[in-house]
Amino acid sequence: MPDPILQITDLKKHFHVRRGFPNPKTVIVRALDEISFTVRKGTAFGLVGESGCGKSTAGRCLLRLIEPDSGSVVFDGVPVLNADTTTMRALRRRMQIVFQDPYSSLNPRKRIGAALAEPLLVHGMANRAEARERVRDLLAEVGMPKEAADRFPHEFSGGQRQRIGIARALALGPDLVVADEPVSGLDVSIQSQILLLLKRLKDTHHLSFVFISHDLGVIRYFCQEMAVMYLGRIVEIGPIPDVFEEPLHPYTRTLRDASPVPDPTSKSIFTKIEGEVPSAVKPPSGCHFHPRCPHAMPVCREVYPRWTAIDARRGVACHLFDDEHGGRDPAP
Amino acid sequence: MARRPANGQAPAQFALDVRGLTTSFYVGGKWFPAVRDVSFALKRHETLALVGESGCGKSMTAMSIMGLVPKDAGRVKAEAILFEGQDLARASEAKMREVRGDGISMVFQEPMTSLNPVLTIGFQVSEALRHHRGLSRRDAAARALHILDQVKIPSAKSRFNDYPHQFSGGMRQRVMIAMALACQPKILLADEPTTALDVTIQAQILELLRELKRETGMAMIFITHNLGVVAELADRVAVMYAGQIVEIAEVAELFARPTHPYTEALLRSIPRSDRDTAELYTIPGQVPPITRMPPGCKFADRCAYRLDRCQAEEQQLAPLAKAPAHAVRCWRRTEETQPEMVVVDA
Repeated sequence: MPDPILQITDLKKHFHVRRGFPNPKTVIVRALDEISFTVRKGTAFGLVGESGCGKSTAGRCLLRLIEPDSGSVVFDGVPVLNADTTTMRALRRRMQIVFQDPYSSLNPRKRIGAALAEPLLVHGMANRAEARERVRDLLAEVGMPKEAADRFPHEFSGGQRQRIGIARALALGPDLVVADEPVSGLDVSIQSQILLLLKRLKDTHHLSFVFISHDLGVIRYFCQEMAVMYLGRIVEIGPIPDVFEEPLHPYTRTLRDASPVPDPTSKSIFTKIEGEVPSAVKPPSGCHFHPRCPHAMPVCREVYPRWTAIDARRGVACHLFDDEHGGRDPAP
Repeated sequence: MARRPANGQAPAQFALDVRGLTTSFYVGGKWFPAVRDVSFALKRHETLALVGESGCGKSMTAMSIMGLVPKDAGRVKAEAILFEGQDLARASEAKMREVRGDGISMVFQEPMTSLNPVLTIGFQVSEALRHHRGLSRRDAAARALHILDQVKIPSAKSRFNDYPHQFSGGMRQRVMIAMALACQPKILLADEPTTALDVTIQAQILELLRELKRETGMAMIFITHNLGVVAELADRVAVMYAGQIVEIAEVAELFARPTHPYTEALLRSIPRSDRDTAELYTIPGQVPPITRMPPGCKFADRCAYRLDRCQAEEQQLAPLAKAPAHAVRCWRRTEETQPEMVVVDA
């Protein structure tokens, strides 16, 4: 098992939001409730879940693009959350992010060449002439012609913009890339081009990834380990084939069974997927999934299940696997 | 081009018969076709999936059938669009208003932008009934409530006078479906109705559509880019590329024997959740822009099996010798014996 490069422990972020009309009230959105996971060197760790589960907040908090409330993030032995400005600057060079929609993260009035050179100049890693050369290499690396440097973001298609977004993340030679839904808005044929590109870069640059996606197929293809999130919490963690072949948490199973596969002979059993994802403002009592869970027991309504480690890499938060309650409760 | 049963041969078996549909848009002083010569027949009770990537013309096909292409920007031409003995291609706007929401109705991708935010959902579902059926406010409301129950809006009665913003995305889509079904249409055009939804909610909506189809016997054209959803729901599939149907077949046949090089490559480009994908295929390049369509096969410049002839000659949608219900727009695959599978390089 490769050494850990990133260790997240009990990371927490609650947002205080004022909303309502005409008498706004402050509500607490529990975007991230003490999540912990470990990313190993040279591997991709997938965060999967439905909208509002906190997967993007997790990605941003671990880079301190959003300051988390509490918890710890250790990157290659260096604590990130209480790092001072100088340390943080050095860390940012090694931890980069690729966004879902690179268009909204590229300055529309800046040529691609300038956008890619900027991080190099800011971090003092190159002078202008060197930066120009590096930009050409970066563009080539992501499969873009060198003429792209003189163009503006709007002149490119979604897939090409994502290549540019990836080039920018690579500019400083990072060790870890947080990829937040990097292929979601793309057509299948473009999606596979970008996935292959990311995979090649992962191998050639020995990159580690936190790969955020709602698409189980993409996670299965790209990642080695994964965590399933539901309403701000991780409900299951494990190595990729295991979680897919034998999901432990009922939510993981629901998610897997609901994901359509391109094979008419294996029509998924849409048996009773109950209810909708509740709001993170008012998560259900006990286990957040219990109102939709086919195996809900009385204890599930009362107590949030504690983390049960199955082995060194596998764990689940579900009363069914907790010895204190596991299946011994009389059926309701 | 006619690939269809001879005219007069039991046309009643078709819910909709589209022949030679071409929709063009005015770009920089010239007309360019976004949908080119699309022909298909939708059988009664059938679900036909129109599948393809963005810009392939699948939504525009539906908009053209419904007469919803803005007149100043687009030009719709068709030999015929036959629905219940009428030719929609030649129908007046008044006639189309009678058909829309009654005989044929449509569900769009984004329910928030298609629902009126200042009207209650009860009003919006009743509206079609009052307009098309001439029901009184009270009768329409009673019927609307029944339909909202049918699409499984929880406690529909108490939510009847709620506004769209008070509903979640999945529930809004149910309201849209209720509106579309209010007058018991013969055909439902569903344009990416689950694309904006989470997978568990998508599964619920697909199951609902399946159930409603079984109950009402309506036919459905389901537009999607997601081949997984196609496999779940469709009876027959038409794959579109650059405005043309490039392959059409029964769903089992299409997935078992994808024959057009585009369909084949597309299926191999999908990372699957149900098994390990060792090698992900990829289709090089991108769809040519509408203003620069090549003369021959539109897919030729991305195709691994391309020959000179492909780029020079327009291809016809022709049935396979072994499976006449399976038609493919590729002369290599319909005329030659099937070539060896070539691995498309990344």
